[in-house]
Amino acid sequence: MKRIFSIVIFLAFLNVANAQIKSANLQASGLTCSMCSRAIFKAIKTLEFVDKVEANIKNSSFDITFKPGTKIDLDMIKNKVEGAGFFVAAFSAKINFDGQLIKNDGHTTIDKNVFHFLNVKDQSLTGEHTIKILDKGFVTAKEYKKNSKYTSMECYKTGVAGACCAKHGLAKGTRIFHVTI
Amino acid sequence: MLLFLFMRKTILAFFILCFNIASAQELFVFTEPASNMAARSIGIRMNTMFMKNVHMDRNEVFVIPEIMWGVSRNIMIHADVFFNNDDKNFKAKGASLYLKYRFLSKDDIHNHFRLAAFGRYSKNNGFIHDGSIDMYKTNTGYEGGLIATKLINRVAISASSSYVHAFDNGKYSLGDDFRNAVNYSLSLGTLLFPKEYTSYDQPNLNFMIEMLGQNTLGNNKQYFLDLAPSLQLILKSRMRIDVGYRFQVIDKIYRAMPKTVLVRFEYNLFNVY
Repeated sequence: MKRIFSIVIFLAFLNVANAQIKSANLQASGLTCSMCSRAIFKAIKTLEFVDKVEANIKNSSFDITFKPGTKIDLDMIKNKVEGAGFFVAAFSAKINFDGQLIKNDGHTTIDKNVFHFLNVKDQSLTGEHTIKILDKGFVTAKEYKKNSKYTSMECYKTGVAGACCAKHGLAKGTRIFHVTI
Repeated sequence: MLLFLFMRKTILAFFILCFNIASAQELFVFTEPASNMAARSIGIRMNTMFMKNVHMDRNEVFVIPEIMWGVSRNIMIHADVFFNNDDKNFKAKGASLYLKYRFLSKDDIHNHFRLAAFGRYSKNNGFIHDGSIDMYKTNTGYEGGLIATKLINRVAISASSSYVHAFDNGKYSLGDDFRNAVNYSLSLGTLLFPKEYTSYDQPNLNFMIEMLGQNTLGNNKQYFLDLAPSLQLILKSRMRIDVGYRFQVIDKIYRAMPKTVLVRFEYNLFNVY
């Protein structure tokens, strides 16, 4: 009994200590028809970690809720949109922070995903905040180019950890999402 | 002259319509846009074409069941079989395989520009009606070309050009001057209903007008140009009903079937595997 109690306490502690990606909103580009929108909607719904998708056909945007406790793969969502024949023009994710320290042009691991914050003030985040992904394929080509001024690190171009990230203890090749608040 | 004036008015009226209505469509009825269907999706089509053969003074019907497969985000395949009653027996006369490769996409919110290359191989044992070449009905041969599609806020415009080479249809031979031709098309499309999207269950009504032409490359250099207005109803964002009327504006080939009424049913299954 004592053991179960301590496991429960331990799990509760884990839950509190980990920030979680709760949901995401994406806007797809290049479409105006409801059949095209439905193709994206159906494709996103096939992802195992997706709980619910709500579509706004008029704005070509999709609200995605994730299943708690699952490994969320943001690249898979982008790939599904591209598989349906379209592209992601904007992508934001709602995250429940728990005192995470974020640094401008620095890396933070949240819910097993590594985020590289750009154009932010160094701060500690608590509660629900929305982050916007700035990587290639998650914004329009124009915006991707515009945001390149916020970092000189090569991982912005490749999306994976390179020599530039070694100082933050990240293994070469680790997927890094470049984000802002 | 009168016809020309009518055409000019129709095209002008169409442009005015396009710029006043909420959104545009590119799911053209008589041509394919440069965009592909979603990867891992299957589409089933049943095409029926009603024509009057003016050479033989009889009615002809083409029934073309078609299956479409989105292989990847950039590649799609169509396979179809041509049934026809040209020799009074309604039976399968041929089949074709079509492949489209989208190689350029420049997308932005509610607009895009896309380029695709396509190819079709057709086998047909049916009667050769006239000197025009049609790989989607009556001829054996191949076709290869390019498609460019632009969606600018409220208007979808698509243009295509292709080279066609025809062989004989089994025992039916084709004159050497008619073996090679260039096809070209210009398509415009717009959404009539709904004015604003609220759900996938809303029916969509689209209006399209397309120009379809062919120039033979033999010594005789003959050509035709058709105009094809059509209406398209999309139900539940997955079922399509197209009704189109294609008629000739200029015909120097003296075609057997200058007018076509097309009725198409299409059903799309997304993420089949």
